[in-house]
Amino acid sequence: MSFSLNEVEATAKKAARGAGYSWGLAEEAGKATRWLSAQGLDGCGALAALLQEPRHESPTRDGDIWSANGALCPLASGAALSDFAADLAAGPIRLIEVAHPQLLLPFAAGAARQMGTVLTLACDTLTARTDGAGVDLAHIPSPPGTSDVQVSLGGRMGAALPHQTRAASDPAIWAVLTGLAARTYAPATDASRRLGAGAGLSDND
Amino acid sequence: MHDPAPTRLPLRPPAQVMRLSRLGSLHQCRLSFMRVLTRRMAAEGWRFSRPAFNIGDDGVGHAVYSATGPDRTYSLIAFAHDLPPEMRSDRVIATAWDATFTLFDGVPEAADIDRLSKNIPLQEAGRVSEREISVSRANRSVRLWEHFVDALATGQQPDPQKTAAVGYLMRTTAVYGSGKLGAADRETIADRPEMQVPFQAEMLSVYLTRVFVRDLVQHMARAKGGDKTATLDPAIAQSLGIGNSTGLGMAPFIVNHPVLFNNWIMAREEAIARVRAVETATKAEAAAFRAVLERAALSVAEWHSEHPIQIEKLKTLGTDMAALAGHVGAADLTTGHPWNRLYDWAEAHLGEDAQELVASLILEPYPDLVDGLAAGMADANSDAFRIDGGLSIAATRSALEASFGWALAVDWTARENRARAWYVSEEKLEPRLGERFDEPIAEYEQPLAPARDAAAAHKALADWGDDQPVAAFLLAHPEHRHTIRRAQITAIAPYGEIHDNTIAADVLPIDMLRAKLAFFGATHFDPRSDRWVRICMYAGAPYPEDLRPETADHWIYPEVET
Repeated sequence: MSFSLNEVEATAKKAARGAGYSWGLAEEAGKATRWLSAQGLDGCGALAALLQEPRHESPTRDGDIWSANGALCPLASGAALSDFAADLAAGPIRLIEVAHPQLLLPFAAGAARQMGTVLTLACDTLTARTDGAGVDLAHIPSPPGTSDVQVSLGGRMGAALPHQTRAASDPAIWAVLTGLAARTYAPATDASRRLGAGAGLSDND
Repeated sequence: MHDPAPTRLPLRPPAQVMRLSRLGSLHQCRLSFMRVLTRRMAAEGWRFSRPAFNIGDDGVGHAVYSATGPDRTYSLIAFAHDLPPEMRSDRVIATAWDATFTLFDGVPEAADIDRLSKNIPLQEAGRVSEREISVSRANRSVRLWEHFVDALATGQQPDPQKTAAVGYLMRTTAVYGSGKLGAADRETIADRPEMQVPFQAEMLSVYLTRVFVRDLVQHMARAKGGDKTATLDPAIAQSLGIGNSTGLGMAPFIVNHPVLFNNWIMAREEAIARVRAVETATKAEAAAFRAVLERAALSVAEWHSEHPIQIEKLKTLGTDMAALAGHVGAADLTTGHPWNRLYDWAEAHLGEDAQELVASLILEPYPDLVDGLAAGMADANSDAFRIDGGLSIAATRSALEASFGWALAVDWTARENRARAWYVSEEKLEPRLGERFDEPIAEYEQPLAPARDAAAAHKALADWGDDQPVAAFLLAHPEHRHTIRRAQITAIAPYGEIHDNTIAADVLPIDMLRAKLAFFGATHFDPRSDRWVRICMYAGAPYPEDLRPETADHWIYPEVET
């Protein structure tokens, strides 16, 4: 199916919220999934896979090593990576055991825009460089498990993946996201049907 | 465009402008999106055509209306249906309508019509493609529609009083754009000059819908009356607008798009400040203002509502209009910063509704100072979303205090201050507003209470050292992330936050609806409840065959009979 990028963002945000993320991180999930889709990468697939797993951990920072008791959540870690982008000036940051590491890319892109330089992400399954606007992937990863990731300033950006204005998503993946999104909707009651939308008068006038 | 005069007056502060009662008193102005569109189409000499009108005597079929500007053609594809009365509902939960529409990017071919005929009539249950820019639907005003068909079919013209009492033959009940249902994203059209100003595609869709509705009612009258059918008097046709019925879906929009909403308000505030800074007005400018005031007073006099809140507001506005007319009749409008003096007088003597009308009307004589500001009303700043984690805790605290200082003093444990909760119902994703303490909705609450959330974040920040980066706070407190983001956005978009409690027991969502609809260019706000409003769009506007630079702008004000 072909989806607009706004649909991707809105659905991803609601899905993350439905999966229990805070509104702020759900917003990040929406933007991140949209960004990946705009690069032609399967953002929806990565997010759906993440949200179906038990919740992963937020990182604890110990110098340049970010880790937790268990795998790191790429949304919480990505948001922190973007927030602590200035720390990259002092040297690379190493994130231990990141789940679905391609979800870190959009946050690295945000950091790259802030720092005004190319950022390089390296892990077992992929090496990627981003200048903020686009991404240059050494190879497009098959759905990976967890991986250690090193993020560093600099690197030579090759040809960026061509930008896309639509997202092609597997219907089964989309169904996972809309199913999670549905958890944010309140079941209708007679009272809410009658009063909640506030239109009490006939429209046959 | 001339170089704008430098602003020498400060803009009105957000603490004044962004109160809900004032936002709920806004009026259209030169920067309203409908007027921006009609001015542009006239200035650029857009051409209009009707490539198809395949509608049977039963009123079922499709029609196509094309509008061609300097670079591109856009086409409204309209599907007309036979709707049983029991299915007629303006609410989102409706599943059938009198007519359904899409704005197509270009001129549709037969295959496009065929594809869209299977999807557009279904609205939310259908899918569209990147070739479609908007999807919308409309219902008839049953009474006025039947009156028009019956009158014309028997060779009569419709009764002007009945026409004025309703104002439109059809009202749209939703106009979806920006990628909804698979349509083109805003980003794919935002670089086109004719689409740069917000909601131009949606406004074009409604403009063409009005032409279709006029043609359809004539067609249905002829199907009934045959040769003895009268041709609708062009003056009556021109007085008709397109109605719109708007529920709660629009209220979250202005909270969810703080940069965009800021840009709308800021453009108007900048325009007001520029005109107030004018030292002397020419006699022609003063006369232009007096003329438009007289016409605006007529519009107010023609504005009716059955809702108690609106009846009260209209009573006050009517009294104020008389006072304003008296003051302006005797006032010097040419020397000593005349518009600033007039605005100050309005603030001291009139209610908020009339104050905002004055603020809108003083812009009318000054297209060169005002109209260029429309170009800055879109939200092109996608990086505003990104949080600057390096900002200090102290600076974050200050940002929260700047936009929500008033909210920090509110007792958020009191029931009346959090009586309501915004949520989305699983029924066709209808946005609703419920009673937090009476209904099981709190766990589904949408983040539409920025003031409450700001107070909570401010409290959580109390234990953190001033010099730490906010990044550390966010890592420990992801539940405040959306609030910190808003606080940083407000630093660059000071008119992005409503300075009132959006979940208070006495909140009036219609105030939020009116603020947005006023920027569209709507008039005659007619609340049907505290969270539902009907309006009129394009009433008085020239149809394509009459659209010229001299007719393209002031149509919003009714003509004064001489």
